[in-house]
Amino acid sequence: MISATEITKVFGKNTVLKNISTTINKGEVVAIIGPSGSGKSTFLRCLNLLEEPTSGEIAIKDVKMTNKNKLEIRKNIGMVFQQFNLFPHMTVLENVTYAPRKVKNIPNDRAHEIAKELLAKVGLTDKEDAYPNRLSGGQKQRVAIARALAMEPEIMLFDEPTSALDPEMVKEVLDVMKDLANTGMTMVIVTHEMNFAKEVADRVMFLDDGVLMEEGEPEEFFNNPSTDRAQDFLSKVL
Amino acid sequence: MDLDFNQIVPYIPFVLEGIWATLQFVIVSIVVGLLLGTVLALCKITKISILRVFANVYTSIFRGTPLILQLMLIHYAVPQITGYDIPAFLSAILAFGLNSAAYVSEIIRAGIMAVDKGQIEAAEALGVPYKPMMLHIIMPQAVKNILPALMNEFITLTKESAIVSTIGYLDLMRRAQIVQADIYRAFEPLLFAGAIYWVMVFILTKIGGLVERRLRQSD
Ligand SMILES: Nc1ncnc2c1ncn2[C@@H]1O[C@H](COP(=O)(O)OP(=O)(O)OP(=O)(O)O)[C@@H](O)[C@H]1O
Ligand SMILES: [Mg+2]
Repeated sequence: MISATEITKVFGKNTVLKNISTTINKGEVVAIIGPSGSGKSTFLRCLNLLEEPTSGEIAIKDVKMTNKNKLEIRKNIGMVFQQFNLFPHMTVLENVTYAPRKVKNIPNDRAHEIAKELLAKVGLTDKEDAYPNRLSGGQKQRVAIARALAMEPEIMLFDEPTSALDPEMVKEVLDVMKDLANTGMTMVIVTHEMNFAKEVADRVMFLDDGVLMEEGEPEEFFNNPSTDRAQDFLSKVL
Repeated sequence: MDLDFNQIVPYIPFVLEGIWATLQFVIVSIVVGLLLGTVLALCKITKISILRVFANVYTSIFRGTPLILQLMLIHYAVPQITGYDIPAFLSAILAFGLNSAAYVSEIIRAGIMAVDKGQIEAAEALGVPYKPMMLHIIMPQAVKNILPALMNEFITLTKESAIVSTIGYLDLMRRAQIVQADIYRAFEPLLFAGAIYWVMVFILTKIGGLVERRLRQSD
């Protein structure tokens, strides 16, 4: 579904990603973990070309992603941000219907139907007409997930979706993500929630200083990390 | 010190007509400044570097030289070069419109840049093309930063408009000076004109406050 080949990213003199290659299959849920500044977000953002790799290539369903086709391919890749990034001047319903209407040219009625279904799924039917600033962090993030899903993507990317949330709201968002994982969605999740990664992910990628140090099944990775860096990291966060 | 406002009474209608003369060219200048300023602002944020350079040089020149010099140049240099005797009104709106465009373009650019970068990313991640993104997502948010600063620009323009009196345009200021020459008294006509400027600016300030409050309500 996603293949990243020898991705390197340089910011100025700083090489943030060093030759990362991996393949993510349809329906797979991959958790990316690692210390702060290790390049997790940058790697995730390379997957939909929000960040252009300095070298290497991304292919989605065997199509190489370029600046020419990236808008087209992004329709199939939803993204959820740490800071939600909801459109503040639009209501919840408008947030969720905007891209289907304007990007996929889906008729209003149909877009509303899809949006209402999704809002029901994330438990926010009663907030349709609210503006984002009237919502709690957890509600905002659930709207953001609904907004991304409204494009009916086959892939969802998450960049620390619960890091900006108060602790009591983390669960409501993780639950939505778990449901999504159970529907067979292909998901790539940057997260600090180790328990969530253990429970939901099919595979864990451990990044350290721009290098993909280790990847494997969560069970294996959390119990027997093979590199010193991963052992060190896990001893700090677990 | 003796003040005698009786002497200016016959001149009051003459001076008051200056309000319309002033407003007329201020309004046209604002429109010119807004339209051109918007185009310049768009040039400043595009990826096409030649447009960016042009807009930046333009802004640098018009903000870096005195407005009165720009006005004089247009009014006196154009006839010299082209032989076309440019009317004072046209010189005035050209100088003020072109000058204001430089400031307006900065205000709009800054207003757009101040919109959270996450908004652009969210739009891009949804596959929204550049034009609808600017139109539906960035601009509606930028307007909230832009409008209050624009109101200030209009107020400045209204006050500065008095310098068109130097090229003989019969605005409020010029008329006050004519009365002054007629009755050999400076204080009364200037005070009268000053009061009128103050009222105009006061009204604009009030409108500005209203606009700002409306914007904050929708937050
Ligand atoms: N736009 C940018 N320009 C320059 N440097 C950047 C940019 N974005 C990220 N970096 C640098 O790249 C490195 C990796 O950043 P990244 O955000 O990918 O890390 P991360 O693993 O997501 O960290 P965190 O857990 O704190 O979110 C950091 O050193 C960061 O300072
Ligand atoms: Mg990050």
